[in-house]
Amino acid sequence: MDALLKGLKLDYLARGDFAKTGQAWVAFLPGASLVRASERLLKADYYIEDVCAVDCVEGYVVVYHFDHFEKPGRVTLKVIVPHAAPNVPSIAHLFDGAEWHERETRDFHGVQFIGNPNFVPLLIDPEMADCFPLRKEEKSRSSAGKIMAPGEVVFCDPAFTLFVADSPAEAAGEGAK
Amino acid sequence: MTRYIDTEQTAGDFYTHNFAKKAQEGTLILNLGPQHPSTHGVLRVVVEMDGEYVLRAEPILGYLHRMHEKMAEVKTAAQFIPNMGRVDYLHAMAWNWAFVGAVEKIAGIEVPERAEYVRVITCELNRISSHLLWWGAYLLDLGAFTPIMYAFDDREKLLDALQVPTGSRLTYSYFRIGGVAQDLNDDCLGRIRAFIPWLRSRMPMYKDLVTDNIILRKRIEDIGVIEPELCRRYGATGPVARGSGINYDVRRNEPYGIYSKFDFDIPTSELKCARGRYDVRMAEIEQSLRIIEQALEMMPEGDVLVKGAPKPSWKVPAGESYFAVEGARGKIGVYVVSDGGKNLYRTKLRAPGFCNLSLFGEVSRGTILADAVAILGSLDMVIPEIDR
Repeated sequence: MDALLKGLKLDYLARGDFAKTGQAWVAFLPGASLVRASERLLKADYYIEDVCAVDCVEGYVVVYHFDHFEKPGRVTLKVIVPHAAPNVPSIAHLFDGAEWHERETRDFHGVQFIGNPNFVPLLIDPEMADCFPLRKEEKSRSSAGKIMAPGEVVFCDPAFTLFVADSPAEAAGEGAK
Repeated sequence: MTRYIDTEQTAGDFYTHNFAKKAQEGTLILNLGPQHPSTHGVLRVVVEMDGEYVLRAEPILGYLHRMHEKMAEVKTAAQFIPNMGRVDYLHAMAWNWAFVGAVEKIAGIEVPERAEYVRVITCELNRISSHLLWWGAYLLDLGAFTPIMYAFDDREKLLDALQVPTGSRLTYSYFRIGGVAQDLNDDCLGRIRAFIPWLRSRMPMYKDLVTDNIILRKRIEDIGVIEPELCRRYGATGPVARGSGINYDVRRNEPYGIYSKFDFDIPTSELKCARGRYDVRMAEIEQSLRIIEQALEMMPEGDVLVKGAPKPSWKVPAGESYFAVEGARGKIGVYVVSDGGKNLYRTKLRAPGFCNLSLFGEVSRGTILADAVAILGSLDMVIPEIDR
């Protein structure tokens, strides 16, 4: 995976513990790298499992799951977007299935996927589609660094501080038991 | 608040207007459903027709949307299990499994061995009942009325058997975090043992009467060809992918529970058309019977619920996990994020039918309307699962 994503600007790349988290690789990346990373996954014959968002203190964490038909091992891409301007480039021109997943994520969290070819509400009635039911109130948000498993770090951009802010966060994946 | 209403046109609603924007001149916009028999519930499809031919099609979802993912955030994990029986009512056991599996993964709970066998047996029985219902309903779509009567006759025996431990016939919420709710008693085991030879005796008849029937073959062969590359782009899994020659089954490729202990085949078809998907599902019934047979033989005595199993108020420890199982329609995935609070922080349900249906727009392009309906049926949709 590190070879596959080589040369792309990543924030964080880690090997996941598949038995514990169901993720073989986890990458946090800036929105600008998402399309190119997806393109490489498509070329490497990965298929798209789903797209969703998690509302955290740091912003909306947009989560993309990919898997492979021949070499199973889930690859998770995560993009953190600010609450004030939740914009991510769409990958629907690469993985056509992403079109619906992105529209669903818009319905639930109000994340905007720039470039989605048919960006209208999918599951929620168009007349009340701006209610975004899965957005959380400020006080009930948790930090992504505390609830997401950091995995075994392969690469970490010095500016990326999600998992280094304080030590309990480091143990969120393991120490939970 | 944005209002997505186009006031230029009077006929149709927002989605018809949105769809009509790209229409060519001289074509007809036709609305199928949501109350249409061949949409198996409340699916709506808007199509642009040139005479009898479909130029474009767009499924419109949301008529059965219940926001299960929000409900997961206002209930404790244990209280959410009944929702799982109502996502895909035809293969409720697989959804039960996907959710409790994800939670068990975060918490590191080991399931007793007998419970693993009980899970496999009930899940596979449920898969058979799902395939039988699909078979009957699909043929009903295509104009053959009788097969569904036979399918429901078989299914009745199966539901009777599953009713004993679960107490329900359709929307099972039988799995528990750390096991299952109740052991299979002798009555239930007897019914299952009697069901296996019964169904085996019926399958050759179904092959002779239906599968090899020239009318059916003319109807479903060479329509709705799905290339493996298309499956990747749309994330199609299950019989839709296997009907296109992709040898991929979560039970084999990402084994969960005790599936690695059983000897079974993954049926695939190189036909890639609706017939390929039909063949795969029919062959899977026999493979499920084989798994059940082996599981009944190997099942040890013991508890079916782990000691100190979580109570309804139990809090899931902080962490995230993704757990996938093979449902009757494909890969069911549950992504759970917990912050250690009373309720789960975020639960994402990946419905296989959602991904499988998303390729319909591309596959139906250029087909005759009657074939488009046959393609739709061959995808085996369960609308509550798609809309969640």
